[in-house]
Amino acid sequence: MLEVRNVSKVYGEKAAQVVALNNVNLSIQKGEFAAITGPSGSGKSTLLNVIGGLDRLTSGEIILEGMRIDNLSESKLVAIRRKKIAYVFQQYHLLPSLTALENVLLPLTFCGAKDDCCHRAMQMLEKVGLAQRAGHKPSQLSGGEQQRVAIARALVNNCSIILADEPTGNLDQKTGAGIIALFEQLNEDGYTIAVVTHSPDIARRARRIVAMEDGRIINETVQN
Amino acid sequence: MKLYQLVAKDALRRRRRLVYTALGVVVGVAVFISVLTISDAGENKIYKELDKYGANLMVTPAIEDVELNVGTLELGNLGVGENYIPQSTLPQIREITDTAIREYVGDSINVPEGDPIASIAPHLYTNTKIGEASVIVVGFDPNTEPAIKTWWDVRGEYPKQANEAVIGATASQVLKLNPGDTVLIKEEPFTIVGIINETGSNDDYQLFIPLATAQRIFSKDGLISAVDIRALCNGCPVEIIADEINANIPGVRAVAIKQIANNEMNLISKMNSFLMTLAGITLLIGAFGVVNTMMSSVHERVKDIGIMKAVGGSRGQILRMFLYEAFIIGVVGGFAGYLAGTLLSYVMGPLIFDGVSITYILDYLPAALGIAIGVAVVASVYPAFRASQIKVADSIRSL
Repeated sequence: MLEVRNVSKVYGEKAAQVVALNNVNLSIQKGEFAAITGPSGSGKSTLLNVIGGLDRLTSGEIILEGMRIDNLSESKLVAIRRKKIAYVFQQYHLLPSLTALENVLLPLTFCGAKDDCCHRAMQMLEKVGLAQRAGHKPSQLSGGEQQRVAIARALVNNCSIILADEPTGNLDQKTGAGIIALFEQLNEDGYTIAVVTHSPDIARRARRIVAMEDGRIINETVQN
Repeated sequence: MKLYQLVAKDALRRRRRLVYTALGVVVGVAVFISVLTISDAGENKIYKELDKYGANLMVTPAIEDVELNVGTLELGNLGVGENYIPQSTLPQIREITDTAIREYVGDSINVPEGDPIASIAPHLYTNTKIGEASVIVVGFDPNTEPAIKTWWDVRGEYPKQANEAVIGATASQVLKLNPGDTVLIKEEPFTIVGIINETGSNDDYQLFIPLATAQRIFSKDGLISAVDIRALCNGCPVEIIADEINANIPGVRAVAIKQIANNEMNLISKMNSFLMTLAGITLLIGAFGVVNTMMSSVHERVKDIGIMKAVGGSRGQILRMFLYEAFIIGVVGGFAGYLAGTLLSYVMGPLIFDGVSITYILDYLPAALGIAIGVAVVASVYPAFRASQIKVADSIRSL
């Protein structure tokens, strides 16, 4: 469902050039749980950003569900972000002024959804086990809880693929394990997930492990 | 949850920031409102003074100054003409005045055709001796006078009989005359029926008796010295009335008292435009303040904007969110500016116009809100545009 073809990303110009991605090819199937690993600066976060249309490519193509998305206009990219791709960030990135429920509602708000979608947002909070904390602000939630809210937010629009950038990077091991379990559960429910991670725990549970170094994919393994 | 609810929640959380941004608008609007309120009070004060003056037209005998020259030798001026106006001109004066007012006011006038409109008060002034003192005795019409001298406060009553008189406060003290006393004028006894409380005008020194009696005892039958006319309205065309009286009635000179007031009004309107310009500049500076704080607010929220874009916010939606916020700032700034401006005018008003009484004008509130919202929204267009252009990857990376 997701094809990355000959993708390069270069930051800066001339002498100050940094090659973040160097001719990367990757394909992720529907319903897959893929982990992208590698040392810091290997280009894994950049890969995730260009896949999701948060950042532009220097060259190459990205095809999502048969449609090329790397050359879309900003307004068309907005539609892709609303319907196809959802993010989970290392820093959770919840809006501090909103409650957990309102944060989950945010994507629906931007879609112009009607008021009855509260129910759906609540369902998503239930799914991540936080229905009781719906009225709490992010500052009243623990890191693990905040990440669960962020995951609920990623699920609410029923997107095709969830991209997670170091989702356990800010969490202690026990809490991180809970998040990993949640991702596994979601994958079993049919969600397609791509996770950038340092964590061997996550990598071990993924079906496909993509190892990167210096902007290149150096190894790709599929496990059962 | 709608977009504006999202903005409102955020604004509530960042109240202090919001108030700070609104301050720029508040100052400008406050100056604006206080200028309007003070100048309004000033105009009212002048109109009130005009009212106090009573008449807005004065008709006096036409006395021409003729220069007397013998060869190149100037012998000074000689007043030529009668010192009196025939009382028979009064109906003509009334006709000219009432016709002009009727034309000016139009159909909205609710005085039946043929009924008098303007108040016309004839006076006959005579300097005479009462005992040892020299006093001006004024022949007047006790029925029309109160309509012109609305500020007269008579202790007792107005004359009803031919030989009754009212007396000014100072004259009453000097002559030791009180209501009920009798005074001899030209050997004729008059009963004092009322004392006019102090007015601060010439009236304080005078003695008022019915016009017909004055004409008889001073042998001025059918003559009057001057006529005070009070037209119906402040805006009435008194200059035109004066011109027509001068053109049609020989031997009299009509002067519109409004001319004096006009000069004062002119000064006020000039001062107003100066203050308005000042208020405009203040508003402009306030607007720059809003641009500044909005810009830093955009920088502060780069991360939030990035998040919103990452979860599906479009450029248009981000732009709209900032403009909604500007709207809130405008509403807050408009209300606060109106309040501050009104308070300011209560403090500053009396310093500008002596003893003016300021009243708040609720009609200016919508204007204050309009100006404030307009300024806040216009000033926020650029920052909002900048916010909408933020790139998600950049904002997320910068964390």
